[in-house]
Amino acid sequence: MNLSINIGNTTFRNPVTVASGTFGHAEKYYNLDEVKQLGAIVPKTVTLPAQTGNPPQRIIETPSGMLNAIGIENPGVDGFIEKKLPTFKKIGIPLIISILGHNDDQFRILTEKFNAVDGIAALELNLSCPNLGHKTLVAQDPEATFRVVKLVKSLSRVPVIAKLSPNVTDITVIAKAAQEAGADGISLINTFTAMVIDVKKRKSILGNFTGGLSGPAIRPIAVHMVHQVAKTVNIPIIAMGGIATASDALEFLIAGASMVAVGTMNFVNPRAPLEVLQGIKEYMKENKIDDIKQLIGNLHKN
Amino acid sequence: MSKIQNIFKVVSNEKLCPRFFRLCIDAKSILKKIQPGQFIHIRATDGLEPFFRRPFSVYRAQKYVEIFYEPIGPGTKNLALKKKGDDIDVLGPLGTPFSLPSKNIKQVVMIAGGIGIAPFLAFSDILKKKKNLELILLYGGRTKGHVYPMKEFKANGVKILVATDDGSIGAKGRVSELFSKVKTDPKTTFLYTCGPTPMMAAVQAFAKKYNLQGEAACEEVMACALGACLGCSIKTTEGYKTVCYDGPVFDLNKVIFH
Repeated sequence: MNLSINIGNTTFRNPVTVASGTFGHAEKYYNLDEVKQLGAIVPKTVTLPAQTGNPPQRIIETPSGMLNAIGIENPGVDGFIEKKLPTFKKIGIPLIISILGHNDDQFRILTEKFNAVDGIAALELNLSCPNLGHKTLVAQDPEATFRVVKLVKSLSRVPVIAKLSPNVTDITVIAKAAQEAGADGISLINTFTAMVIDVKKRKSILGNFTGGLSGPAIRPIAVHMVHQVAKTVNIPIIAMGGIATASDALEFLIAGASMVAVGTMNFVNPRAPLEVLQGIKEYMKENKIDDIKQLIGNLHKN
Repeated sequence: MSKIQNIFKVVSNEKLCPRFFRLCIDAKSILKKIQPGQFIHIRATDGLEPFFRRPFSVYRAQKYVEIFYEPIGPGTKNLALKKKGDDIDVLGPLGTPFSLPSKNIKQVVMIAGGIGIAPFLAFSDILKKKKNLELILLYGGRTKGHVYPMKEFKANGVKILVATDDGSIGAKGRVSELFSKVKTDPKTTFLYTCGPTPMMAAVQAFAKKYNLQGEAACEEVMACALGACLGCSIKTTEGYKTVCYDGPVFDLNKVIFH
């Protein structure tokens, strides 16, 4: 059974990974033998300077999901490379590093810093960052997306994946811009901007006022967006959005994704990524599919 | 992919007083390691509602891992339906324990509000073994129905003072009404507290006024409990700290209660 997937010049042993910000920092709790079975690991987004994150309350559960406004708390690129990267490398599977710059120059420096270290399989650009001079995010503007992807692509020695936001009118326009700029892959979707109000206090619950909605609640929307993007571009897609089970992951593969990432469900069922991988294998066996590529985008007409 | 996620069996699940339940779990792998102040993270549904797991401090760890809870929200109400022999999905042990009092400490004052009593029984099980250590529990509850029968604490030699909001048992008012009844000494007294944020803030003010050291077991809405999501951070004098991984037990004087 062949489960391997290529993005740019990088090969992943299987299509199952974790979404950025959901797998993490407490290595003492993880069963390395299990983690090693995944196709790749995506650590939490790294920014150039360290970020302390948003004031509490940072999360709240919602029907079949959650809101988060963590604020990309991270030790900054130098702290990450010194302290966190060695433990991630020890796992021994491909690492996709998520980076976010608050301007083009930060994206440039982040790319150069990761060019200078070994053991990185790909860069994922978190484009849900400010689009300077505009009231939008980079991922909401095809020109800004094109510019940032092109910049990083011109410098990076590893494949570049653009992570898209669902908070747009037409996600295919942004996906096309990323592909035209040379992206090796696209990952989607990031979270939906959302809020929950405490009716007793008549205040927004999150310290940051708004947060990002994730979890199984958003999955059908994510499947639709992946399907739209898969019809538009010809580069591989890493899909995420509420994947809890193998069946959920298969929906995304059939919709056209090459890889799938378990995100929020890691917080509820840390075993979910392994269960997803196991279930995909069982499905392939049952349906006599010997190469996962036969499944990708294999959506029958109604 | 966590080595501390397991499915265990429920041994018993019973009402201990009008408002509070005790759940016993046959969890030997946790029992061997867990220390007072640490917690376990329970999936209270097989489905997706409520979405998050629920954290509970260990109430007692002798033959079984026991938790103490009030069925009040969707998670704890589901938990109250668990029966002997049911499966239960548990992560643990998690977080930092209470530190044991240093040699010069002669008096331990545990200050608990409501369900915040939970970590102190297991703690008194350990502290009672120390010689020449006075154990005091100041406990505040809303009504008599919220006050847990104290016989296990009494058996551990703990001196107990109670306050209720309505005065139905003990002193009338908040647990802070009881502070004046304890004669403390900055050199030999150590405080431990767990309860609602305003109560712990009052304990911190008391500690500052009398120059006392202590620890607070804190709470915040929690998702992963593994230090991954950084969702349960609270403010401290050393910046944001996660309740699940850096805590839940913190230096009382370093927490910035909001």
